[in-house]
Amino acid sequence: MELFSNLMLGFSTALEWHNLLYCLFGALIGTLIGVLPGIGPVPTVALLLPFTFGMAPASAFIMLAGIFYGAQYGGSTTAILVNIPGETSAVVTCLDGHQMARNGRAGTALAIAAMASFFAGTVATTVIAMLSGPLSRLAMSFTAVEFFSLMVLGLVAAVIMAHGSIVKSLAMIGIGLLIGVVGIDVNTGVARMTFNIPEFADGLSFVSVAMGFFGLAEIINNLEKPSHQIVVSQKMKNLLPTWQDLKTAFPAMLRGTAIGSILGVLPGGGAALPPFTAYAIEKKLARDPSRFGKGAIEGVASPEAANNAGAQTSFIPLLTLGIPSNAIMALMIGALMIQGIQPGPQIIVEQPELVWGVIASMWVGNLMLLVINLPLIGIWVSMLKVPYRLLFPAIMLFCCIGAYGVNNSVMDIWLMLGCAVVGYFFIKVKVETAPLLLGLILGPQLEENLRRAMLLSDGDFSVFVTRPISAVLLGSVAVILLVMLSPAVLKKRDEIVESEG
Amino acid sequence: MSPKQEAGPKTSPANEDLFFGLFLLGMAILVFASTRKLLIGTSSNMGAGYFPQAIAWGMIFFGVFFVAKSQVRPSEKVYAPYWRGLFLIILAVAVFSLLLMKAGLVLAAFLAMLIASAASKETRPVEIVVYSALMSAASALLFVRALSMPMPIFPW
Amino acid sequence: MRSFKLSRVAGFVFAATVTASLISSSPAQAADDFNHMVRIIVPNAAGGTSDILARLIAPKLSEAIGQTVIVENKPGAGGNVGADFVAKSPKDGHNIVLMDVGTLATAPSLFSNLTFDVEKDLAPVGMIMFVPYILAVNPSFPAKTVDELISYSKANPGKVSVGNSGVGTITHLVGAIIAKEKGLQWKYIPYKGGAASSRAVVTGESNVVINGATATAPFVSSGQLVGLAVSSKERMKNFPNLPTFREAGLPQPDAGSFQGVLTTGGTPPAVVKRLSDEIIKILAQPDMQKKIAEQGGVIQSAKPEGLRDWLQEYIKVFGDEIRAANIKVE
Repeated sequence: MELFSNLMLGFSTALEWHNLLYCLFGALIGTLIGVLPGIGPVPTVALLLPFTFGMAPASAFIMLAGIFYGAQYGGSTTAILVNIPGETSAVVTCLDGHQMARNGRAGTALAIAAMASFFAGTVATTVIAMLSGPLSRLAMSFTAVEFFSLMVLGLVAAVIMAHGSIVKSLAMIGIGLLIGVVGIDVNTGVARMTFNIPEFADGLSFVSVAMGFFGLAEIINNLEKPSHQIVVSQKMKNLLPTWQDLKTAFPAMLRGTAIGSILGVLPGGGAALPPFTAYAIEKKLARDPSRFGKGAIEGVASPEAANNAGAQTSFIPLLTLGIPSNAIMALMIGALMIQGIQPGPQIIVEQPELVWGVIASMWVGNLMLLVINLPLIGIWVSMLKVPYRLLFPAIMLFCCIGAYGVNNSVMDIWLMLGCAVVGYFFIKVKVETAPLLLGLILGPQLEENLRRAMLLSDGDFSVFVTRPISAVLLGSVAVILLVMLSPAVLKKRDEIVESEG
Repeated sequence: MSPKQEAGPKTSPANEDLFFGLFLLGMAILVFASTRKLLIGTSSNMGAGYFPQAIAWGMIFFGVFFVAKSQVRPSEKVYAPYWRGLFLIILAVAVFSLLLMKAGLVLAAFLAMLIASAASKETRPVEIVVYSALMSAASALLFVRALSMPMPIFPW
Repeated sequence: MRSFKLSRVAGFVFAATVTASLISSSPAQAADDFNHMVRIIVPNAAGGTSDILARLIAPKLSEAIGQTVIVENKPGAGGNVGADFVAKSPKDGHNIVLMDVGTLATAPSLFSNLTFDVEKDLAPVGMIMFVPYILAVNPSFPAKTVDELISYSKANPGKVSVGNSGVGTITHLVGAIIAKEKGLQWKYIPYKGGAASSRAVVTGESNVVINGATATAPFVSSGQLVGLAVSSKERMKNFPNLPTFREAGLPQPDAGSFQGVLTTGGTPPAVVKRLSDEIIKILAQPDMQKKIAEQGGVIQSAKPEGLRDWLQEYIKVFGDEIRAANIKVE
């Protein structure tokens, strides 16, 4: 069977000893930068790009790919341990992952995250091998209209995710959308709400905002309490998940993988959409949604699976069509072109060892990461024993450096500081910031696609319901909203809110 | 959440909803002010101001809603901020930002960490000085040397 | 407290520090024009034409001048954020910007509140590479030649959508000039960069794209886009059937992406000349020639006067064309 022989070719490439080393190197570096807030896969890949010129194309690609999905593993670690999302995709993991850590289950959370990522990685590799064709065709049929509807669906996910009052979540989404407006407008070239600060011309850095709201604000809040109430309980329960945990987590992993695999293929949306959507769906499907936000295992398993699956399937448009679905892929194209390889549909035919070698190496890389990360859990968890009085200045320092590192700009540190103050305000008035972050991430694309769709359709709003994919997406939105606003659901949410006090 | 919370939530006119509502209104005003010169455009050719102002109207709606709700059905009162923590963390990050490019990472990080540590009542003097020095040095080696982040290590 | 030991933390930190410093290395000092790290600023996102070029040049430049040379991405405002950064850097030639200088030529006419003066605050080092534009359409679009495009556009005014890499970019400008000269009414759809605009035409969201050959050629090779014309002096080797703009009777026959290098205005001319000389030598190396040719690029002279003259001329030319085509960035 052709698939089998392709995979054999792929594994024979991936398992060559030097490619194994490159894979390991990439995965390790990826994990490290994933853990460090602010430094993401994009600058790292960019930094290492010149070193790949002398390497064989397959090796270069394998290493760079390793950095990318390795970063997903690392990002979840800080999200769980200190509630700081170093990557956009890790924001959702903070919600329940960090709560699990607070309940003394940091080890379990980390282990489930690693396992979910590995599971998703394995499945995603198979998906790439088998479903590239149909998935690419799906990606190709997305235009501005469909993207807009997808973003709306994503935002509704934010409402579902939220714990308390729907109105508050909507308001926070709105604030996020407004923050996302800051910058130069794509369609007119005009600077909006940048207050003449040139560093804001390309929008407010997500990392600064996230670290301000999640990291620093929380530090300020924590300082009020005596340290034994903070961060994580010193009594560590089992480091590894129990059988019951695995049974609960597994279906969530499956769903997350499916969602990540599909959403990852679509250009745009970025790394954040799969985990957010996966979390929202888990919460909707759970028998007891009130567990979410308090340390529900599905709230870690599903988003982690989704973001790893999404990271890998985002290679599909690149490998099959030569179209980059995000910034990293654009860098990969650069790497390929420097090697003299033209990315495009012919790449699968002309360079099968490269394509299948990379696909196979993804599975190998995931395995390596699992094997490496599980023992590391012990080390991570022991770092939590560091007393808070020493931990928080270090976290603050890394946040500062991280904020600077995204764009090498001190203004981003000031931005983070401003967000820290506002974030502390939000904590005091008890509103959740997660919907705001989602609004910030999706807002610009929502607007860009809305305006482009309107430009192309000459102001005809009906395109959103006449085009089939968009109609399906918006239909789902309507259904979800109806269900959420139905009296039964509203009553249940009110009960939950009241019982929390 | 706050340690000052005793038996049962306390409500008051100066409550969460009120402040949140006022914040939303303030934000809306800020948006209108800073986008006043932008074209709104039409729906087939939305101008730069269309989207932000549309959302800002939503914020006004929500703001009024929360302010009204805060008086009619008061929610929990807002507890005083932890001024010491707030002020010192702000100062620490500000010091870092100001000193980073001029005095280098090591000094900026060292000072920032010291200032921040004062926000915790549990800080021990000698320990924090040694610790901060080590962390600053380690950061310099990790971020500037190993990862080539463009920032000075020392003022010279 | 319990078994927490400061010494254990210290030990760990020390070990990590030593490891980290072993990984890094610092280059030998060299007296001369350059005495500390040099930065090549690329004012676009990583992975684009300028970025790739910069990363090819950086290690070779580092060898040549004996200092570390790093590439830093400072995207924003179509390139103006990065250019502004270099314009305001110390006048020692250690910060250089590598970018599509067409942006610099149009900026003064497009932006009334530009934060730097293109001709005074930046010192040209040289023009490095020229990449022509490809005019291409989606395969299902009912026009396969330039003439068919023109007649179709005339028959369907306001219906043909032309994607570009941003408002006021040269890709936008060229489209507007073509439309004006041929009497066409096109819809201009701005995207965030050339990769996005090409992709949009591949999916059929927009009909026509004008974009640099580097990013667009692969799509034409694979048939995902149908090429109509290319703005180079001669036909491209990979596409012998693709007429040049000149042959097809299109205006702007020499338009394209001009990659140039500049440094801070007021830098001593000797330093500028040194940079230029080193870059010329780098461009002459066979592997550089090969890599640039693979991208569809044509190496340029890389002399300061050449770039300065080009900028002077084109600031005026583009300025006139922007005003004539009535392109506004409010």
